[in-house]
Amino acid sequence: MRKSSFSRSRRRENRQLRLMALPAVIWFGLFCYLPLFGIFFAFKEFTPVPGRSLLENLFIHSPWVGLRNFSYLFRNPQSLAILGNTLFYNVIFLVAGIVIPVFLAVILSEIHQKKFTGLVQMALVLPYFLSWVIVGYCVYGFLATDQGQINSILRFLGREGIQWYQSPQYWRLILILVGIWKSCGYSLVIYLCSITAIDRTLYESASLDGATFWQKVRFITLPMLRPTIATIFILSIGSLLSSDFGLFYQVPMDSGALQEITQTMDVYVYKALMQQANFSFSSAAAFLQSAVGCVLLIVSNVIIRKVDPASALL
Amino acid sequence: MRQSSSRKGKIFWSILAVTGLAAGLMCGCGRREASGDGVVNLRWVTYGTSVPADLKEVIEAANAYSAREIGVTVDLEIQPSEMLNLIMASGEYYDMVFTCEWLNSYDTNAAKGLYYDITDLVKEETPALYDTIGDYWEAAELDGHLYGVPTLKDMGSEMMFRLNADYFEGEKGMEIPERMAFGEIEPYLAAYKEDFPYKYPLAMDKAGIPGFTNFLERVISTIIYIPYEGEGSPRAIPLWESEELMKRYRLLHQWYEAGYIAPDASAVESTTSDKTIPVRFGVAWRGYQGYSNPADWGFQVKTSIYDGPYLSRATEQGAMLAICAACSEERARAALRYIELLNTDRTFRDILAYGIEGKHFDYLENDTVLRTETGISRYMVPLYPMGSVVNSSVESVSRDFLADPEQWKKVYEGYEEYAIRSRTKGFVYDKTRKEDIIAAITAIYNNYATDLRTGTSDPDVVIPKMRQEMETAGLAELMEDIQQQLDEYLDTNRD
Repeated sequence: MRKSSFSRSRRRENRQLRLMALPAVIWFGLFCYLPLFGIFFAFKEFTPVPGRSLLENLFIHSPWVGLRNFSYLFRNPQSLAILGNTLFYNVIFLVAGIVIPVFLAVILSEIHQKKFTGLVQMALVLPYFLSWVIVGYCVYGFLATDQGQINSILRFLGREGIQWYQSPQYWRLILILVGIWKSCGYSLVIYLCSITAIDRTLYESASLDGATFWQKVRFITLPMLRPTIATIFILSIGSLLSSDFGLFYQVPMDSGALQEITQTMDVYVYKALMQQANFSFSSAAAFLQSAVGCVLLIVSNVIIRKVDPASALL
Repeated sequence: MRQSSSRKGKIFWSILAVTGLAAGLMCGCGRREASGDGVVNLRWVTYGTSVPADLKEVIEAANAYSAREIGVTVDLEIQPSEMLNLIMASGEYYDMVFTCEWLNSYDTNAAKGLYYDITDLVKEETPALYDTIGDYWEAAELDGHLYGVPTLKDMGSEMMFRLNADYFEGEKGMEIPERMAFGEIEPYLAAYKEDFPYKYPLAMDKAGIPGFTNFLERVISTIIYIPYEGEGSPRAIPLWESEELMKRYRLLHQWYEAGYIAPDASAVESTTSDKTIPVRFGVAWRGYQGYSNPADWGFQVKTSIYDGPYLSRATEQGAMLAICAACSEERARAALRYIELLNTDRTFRDILAYGIEGKHFDYLENDTVLRTETGISRYMVPLYPMGSVVNSSVESVSRDFLADPEQWKKVYEGYEEYAIRSRTKGFVYDKTRKEDIIAAITAIYNNYATDLRTGTSDPDVVIPKMRQEMETAGLAELMEDIQQQLDEYLDTNRD
């Protein structure tokens, strides 16, 4: 008897929670699950018939072609280099995207001048909202050969200007710097929030025990941030084969001399398909990226659960 | 028990929701039937990058005219290229659509059966249209059938330099001939560079020189060509086998090294804002005056043709109109009547081309057209996406600078006299079997293309590298397939 009334109140409570979750569930249903039928594009030769609906065209009029739509991805002799680039940048962004914002967040949380920290935060978050096209031109303003800022400085110092867009050796660093500059503010805010949520009494008692600043960071802040770091890590590992098209296409201005450094999978797909509107080919690439991402996500989640069950996602 | 019933309920509701959504997607296409008074309203999708402010007003005026003349009206939609592709791919219903060689591919879509077969209908319903297009129907012929109407415009491209005549002729005393070879522009560049060592005399952005490779017939984008002239039967070649093209790439690189081209040309989107650049490029036709209005530039512009006119299936397919294969015969007939009106009735054609007389444009004394301020700001559309260019009045750029109203007649006579015509008799390469190789090769090409066409990279270093990559990606297999199809086609179409 008691048990049933308990479960009824529990159910009522759940009903409210469900209602709150409803908009998100509908959103995911409409925009993430419903379009899943698009996976079929990757395995079919899409042949539309005018006046028929998309689903009919996809399922009835388009023949199955197995894995043929994937073959263009591996025909290029540079396929391995492209894959290598994609992984190289993503691993760096994965690591730097955690280390740098955490470092900044720890430092910012120790500064007690509210106005100053607010200003720094704003300055760091702002680039996140700029479009890549604009960032591309800002970078161009620095690196242009005849009128760029950096070459003007070099000339002022009596050195010769560098043709930046023709010099691939600098671009790994440039891309990494620009990528981190643009994205780190956003994760910084997340880490800063988690740090603010840490119980201050922990720090106070540590201070009473004579702990130094770095000891506090190492034994209190970092362990308390672990779940947040794990979540962000798991989420970003799912997109290990995807890359930010804007960063690798807009910022280097699609310069041919740089392509060995800047070509990632998304850029390759764009360059291969921009002249032919082949939906099946582009779906194949997207499917491959998502499939690999999904496997990596599950594997890393399993590993994290083994190491630290509380930080795992699923 | 209760639990199981609630689970059933859940399953029931989710199935209902999914079917509902699926049904919604399935019946995505509705079509509008003829309105009561017998006037047929067509959905016409055409290409454009911007929608002019007064489009609605102009279409209303055009609809009033066409409803009276032929009982047909249109809903005109101007869509960018991605939208056009999406409309075609998702099977959306339309009646008339813009199609051509370079966008919403006529040959590919016609072969897939997306367009209405008008072979017999056009002769029966609209004989005047059939006569007007004349020999140019060949551009639309695919396996003996017609699936679209070629738009009469400049049918072969002529590539030209546009030079600052005040400077070169006035100040330097150099002569600007009507024609010159591509390389003969060099002394002009050198002269300007000497006077202005910190400026770059050649207008160059990342898109390269417009029409730069038009002296070759394209098979696969700008990678595989068929030369217009040559010994023996036509052969498909990759770009590096064209001596002339290689010579031009080398020239461009020399010019780049000499400082005639800006060092960052391969990163520059557009050079239009710098009006001082003395040598620009154009693709137009004999007598075209759009480049020459001194008010636009601050100096007299003279053009000098370096290539062309070249006529091939690709150039003749520069713009076309096709009818949807899912149209009823009645609607197809209506669409043909509409296209006929665009091709034969000048007053009607001028409405869509220039807007409303007195508001957007005026007729000048020699029957050419001058756009008004309102016309320039509120109804500025290119002519070719909306039907016959030849049948619209010729535009003058100012009252003091009248265009030749007989311009098109001369251009077409010119084609008969000097045009270099393709030897492939309308050959179309069917890409479907080798599409993956084409995608891989296109990606490789795009890695080098910008630097090659802007002169930034040395073709003798870069092209061997590109060639090797393309060969690994399966170029030989693709070339063989093209040549085989070409030979078979020429065998069956011998005349």
